[in-house]
Amino acid sequence: MSPSFLLVLVPLLPLVAAIVTVLVGRRLGSRAHLPAVAGIAAAAVVAFVLLVITARNSGGGEHPRPVDMVTTLWQWATVSDAYVPAADSPAAVPGTAVGADAHAARSFSIAVALRLDPLTATMLMIITGVGLLVAIYSIGYMHDDPGYPRFFALVAMFVFSMSMLVAASNFLLVYVFWEAVGACSYLLIGFWFQKPEAARAAKKAFLVNRVGDFGLAIGVFLLWLTYGTLDFHDTLSPDGTILPGILGQTRLADVSGYVGGAVGTAICLLLLLAACGKSAQLPLHVWLPDAMEGPTPASALIHAATMVTAGIYLIARSAPLYMACPGALVTVSIVGTSTALVAALIGTVQNDLKRVLAYSTISQLGFMFASLGTGTLLGFTAAIFHLLTHAFFKALLFLGAGSVMHSMGGVIDMRRFGGLRKLMPITAATFLIGSLALAGVAPFAGFFSKDEILASLHHKGWPSAHGEHGEHHAFLPVLPETAAAGPTLHDVGYRGVADHGEHTIAAADPVGLDALDRPGVWQALFWMALVTAGLTAFYTFRAVFMTFTGPLRVPEEAGDHAHESPRVMTLPLIILAVPATLAGFVLFTTEGLSRFLAATPSFTAPAVTATAAPAVFHWDLALQGTLAAALGIVIAAVGHLGRRSDGPQLERWLGPVRPFFENRMFIDQLYTAVIIKPVEAVAYLAAMFDRGIIDRLVRGVARLPVSVGNLMRRLQSGLVQRYALAGVVGVLAIIVLLAWRL
Amino acid sequence: MTPAVLLAAAPLPLLQNGLMVGAILFSLGLVGILTRRNLIVMFLSAELMLQGISVSLVAWSRYHGDFGGQVLVVFVLSVAACEAAVALVFVLQAFTRTGRLDSAAWQSLRESTLARSVDHEIPAIDSPLPVFPRLTPAGVSPEADADAALQREHV
Repeated sequence: MSPSFLLVLVPLLPLVAAIVTVLVGRRLGSRAHLPAVAGIAAAAVVAFVLLVITARNSGGGEHPRPVDMVTTLWQWATVSDAYVPAADSPAAVPGTAVGADAHAARSFSIAVALRLDPLTATMLMIITGVGLLVAIYSIGYMHDDPGYPRFFALVAMFVFSMSMLVAASNFLLVYVFWEAVGACSYLLIGFWFQKPEAARAAKKAFLVNRVGDFGLAIGVFLLWLTYGTLDFHDTLSPDGTILPGILGQTRLADVSGYVGGAVGTAICLLLLLAACGKSAQLPLHVWLPDAMEGPTPASALIHAATMVTAGIYLIARSAPLYMACPGALVTVSIVGTSTALVAALIGTVQNDLKRVLAYSTISQLGFMFASLGTGTLLGFTAAIFHLLTHAFFKALLFLGAGSVMHSMGGVIDMRRFGGLRKLMPITAATFLIGSLALAGVAPFAGFFSKDEILASLHHKGWPSAHGEHGEHHAFLPVLPETAAAGPTLHDVGYRGVADHGEHTIAAADPVGLDALDRPGVWQALFWMALVTAGLTAFYTFRAVFMTFTGPLRVPEEAGDHAHESPRVMTLPLIILAVPATLAGFVLFTTEGLSRFLAATPSFTAPAVTATAAPAVFHWDLALQGTLAAALGIVIAAVGHLGRRSDGPQLERWLGPVRPFFENRMFIDQLYTAVIIKPVEAVAYLAAMFDRGIIDRLVRGVARLPVSVGNLMRRLQSGLVQRYALAGVVGVLAIIVLLAWRL
Repeated sequence: MTPAVLLAAAPLPLLQNGLMVGAILFSLGLVGILTRRNLIVMFLSAELMLQGISVSLVAWSRYHGDFGGQVLVVFVLSVAACEAAVALVFVLQAFTRTGRLDSAAWQSLRESTLARSVDHEIPAIDSPLPVFPRLTPAGVSPEADADAALQREHV
């Protein structure tokens, strides 16, 4: 049972389960969940084993060894002699050539390879763990649905695609499975496709994701052109040279192995575009609230815990690439923080419980992006930490909302029900735990991860307060030896680094993004994040109070459903409540996660480790965060607790701003006017062209034989004399011909 | 084969005259077939063509001093006779079915999209019939041919 085999098992088992469910699901009837649940459960067990193996291999302690186990399954595509790297491009081997010519023609080869490292192991555990709980929950939730087998096949398919995405060791494979999870998401959002809103929401999600996929595709092209390979890991070429992968040990060890400047920033911004599409950040966030049309377990799995985290994963994985472009990093943070704030503002006026949670997801993902953009080891680790805790408490909240929706007969508008804590005690208790975690109240999980994110922003905004001399991204201390050795492989206009052995920022910065990397900007981002934390607490507890407190009100659609959900649905809620409570505390105090993740190859880049700071619990930040959360909860209580839980109370105070929030800041309308209408106009023109010109042409061509035939028809008159005439004319023609010849 | 004494070769003008006559007969016959509508006249023209050929054959035979041409003429004449018998039977059948000796009466093999070819001017000789005394009907009157009014009687 080698790690390679186990790593292949994790995606393989859900794939087999999906295929089996597709083939025999109809026949299994109400037991159609069995293959999917079994497959995902087995995958979860294997993922846990892999986690243990990886943890053991990372060595622990102060200096974790990078863990990097690659399994190559088969060679997918090879084009020999596809690329000849320039002598001084980063695609050339950075000084560690083993064997002959380092500049020989490179072949374009894509191997289906999986890589196991701590980041992958963590993500796999989240995906399979939450996937398993969601699958168990769905047994109860989707109980009477005619599409029961289809749902489980799709969930298993999704788990497979997502596992491959995080395990893939090649950017092209990542792209393939990026698309695959997008397709599964489309299928799951549009699960009840007969409902027109659901079909439209699915289409919208797919099309908006497509914009991001376009960014990823161009980014992959640029990566190939820049680095000469798409693999993460190092590979051996046939003549014995090490071909350094983009995120392989060879390139990571070299201080200047990554391209900055215009090309590097372009790559990073394109990857950011892709991440925005998948993780629903500004401006591509519009699909996530509409995606709530899908079944709630699908929302819990895809739009809370796993698929939307693919963007975070991509940027975290590409950390060394980002470290070379400070402008791109600050852009990531700006995008994330503004998204968090905007989404939180919109979420305060939503009346649909699932929409509140959707905007909450967008907001929390924004937090993660903000943390990633700080470009410090603390920032990256905090983002993954928050991803982990968010997966737990958000899945918990979504499944709880599903439980409420199930018992209220499909009604999810909070104004129509209230006081459900007596009716559904387990759901109420677990939802409360999830809300406390989301709001960031100590000692629940969200508190620690949010605290770390605020800490990373604070580090960037007030560097002196943390004992670092305020330096910009001088991550490339040009070592004296390499400078003295004359022009090196990397001393060219790509990054414009002067080879004088001094600290320089990448000089080629055409867009001016690097100029944003100032403490002032980071301070503004910090305050925005703090305000968003307060807003998070507010809207979360507004939802809690409106749903669970006050007098008991049940809408008439509930019928006889209005009771606590069955055990198969409440059990995952209880199971998820445990890590939502404890995970933060445990992982933070033992520093287990940060040490574990520090062994990820992407985070062992010298640029990243140079920013490592000792993990300290910042009491002042914790106090600020808790104050913000408490303020939010109190305002929510004032507005919506108890007897006031049945309607818009505080929103009246928002006055003229309120319709602005309620209409989601009119972004959808803006997109319709600016993008959709012109595209429809162009499509209309194309249709006119097609019908008017091309069709006419084709019909004209069809008329030609008919016209010629009509002409020939006239010869057939039925009159004998005319036939005789034709014969005589023919004879004359022959005679003339013969006479001419002679 | 030819007895040496029998035929002196005729001079060239004789040949030319003979061929001219034959050509005139042949072309008259050809024009007749193509132009006339009466079936018997058409047949007559065909016979005329054959006679023209015969004259040409005889002229050539005189010119070359070879009896072969004239022998062929005898064949042609006998064939013409047989052909006349067959053709007249055919004309008789045609007349029985349509009651007219008009070749334009037979147009049913034309293309379905084409209209029937009709006469645009019916000559005065065929226009209004003189008024005949009305007699008491004796027996069944034959059915009127619908197309008869479209075409001239006299061909």
